[in-house]
Amino acid sequence: MRCEQARRMMSARLDGSLDPTEMSRLRDHMASCAACQVEWEKMEALDQLFKSAPMRDAPPYLRIRVTSRIERRDRARRAIIGGMALALGTATLTVLVLAPFALGLLDNLGFGPALVVGGMETVTQLLVLLDALSRALIVLLDQFARPLAILGIGSLLMALVLNGLWIVTIRRLRVVR
Amino acid sequence: MTEEEEWIKAAREGDKAAFGHLVEAYQTPIYNLTYRMLHNQSEAEEAAQEAFIRAYKHLNSYDPGRPFSSWLFSIASHYCIDRLRRRRIDWLPLKEEIAEPVRLATTSPNPETVATDRDREAWIQELMNALSPTDRAALTLHYWYDCSYKEIAEVLNLTVSAVKSRLYRARRTLAEQMEGESYAL
Repeated sequence: MRCEQARRMMSARLDGSLDPTEMSRLRDHMASCAACQVEWEKMEALDQLFKSAPMRDAPPYLRIRVTSRIERRDRARRAIIGGMALALGTATLTVLVLAPFALGLLDNLGFGPALVVGGMETVTQLLVLLDALSRALIVLLDQFARPLAILGIGSLLMALVLNGLWIVTIRRLRVVR
Repeated sequence: MTEEEEWIKAAREGDKAAFGHLVEAYQTPIYNLTYRMLHNQSEAEEAAQEAFIRAYKHLNSYDPGRPFSSWLFSIASHYCIDRLRRRRIDWLPLKEEIAEPVRLATTSPNPETVATDRDREAWIQELMNALSPTDRAALTLHYWYDCSYKEIAEVLNLTVSAVKSRLYRARRTLAEQMEGESYAL
């Protein structure tokens, strides 16, 4: 048996998951290997050390702090939802109240129909513009697919290199400190 | 239905007092877990609070077929693992983080015992600092909660063989840390 395998078996032995055959093989190995014998003593000592460490008590106010944080969170959530509902309601009410007056005023001034027609035209123009832009983008992507891919991969590599340099710098700074 | 199941059911329906009972029942195991992982009292307390808040927020995703303790341990362990990973790029040296007074669960009025306990705690902290966050979690769940390989695997989203390997690796690392030290207890 190799020492590496024996040490794995030592760990399993501490967990009580070694069968009698494996246990006997481990004992045979340890009887003839001083290094593994020392390793076993260390592992056993560590096992005792960790088993003897007690559970640490929670601070007495932990429950109060948790429940008050939950309360605060719920209150804040209720306040946000309430605030949004209030704002939305107020805006809707304002529009509903003011709309007839505004429309009446525009109509009296002779701008009403023009505004509606103008609005529709603007929306149509915007849709046409969006359509043209998306077509142009497709053509552009089609034409420059390869250079764009190269550019994208290049940027990604550069970002990775910069990230690596950043991590190395931080580690060095920590070592220096 | 057990008392705990009743609390869970009530808490899922929005009963904060019922959730308070759950916090009370699990505050020491969760705090101990976060403390053993982070080795810093204030960070451990904050992590324990955060674990409970997350549990409350995601109570509806808890599967009642699974032990509630495992679910809570899973939330707390992953939170601590993330925190330890973030701490790796922290600018502070680790030595400063472990300089904390020791508070033990067992009350021992004998000054000699207190000193021994402090030494043991300090030693455990120093040893565990050499472990990766996940190995630290596996070892904590094994020693302080008597969790089986399967339970540790469930809590940490690992396979049983990965847990065995991690425990072995952790012990090897700790044994290496003990080089040159007197380890007679």
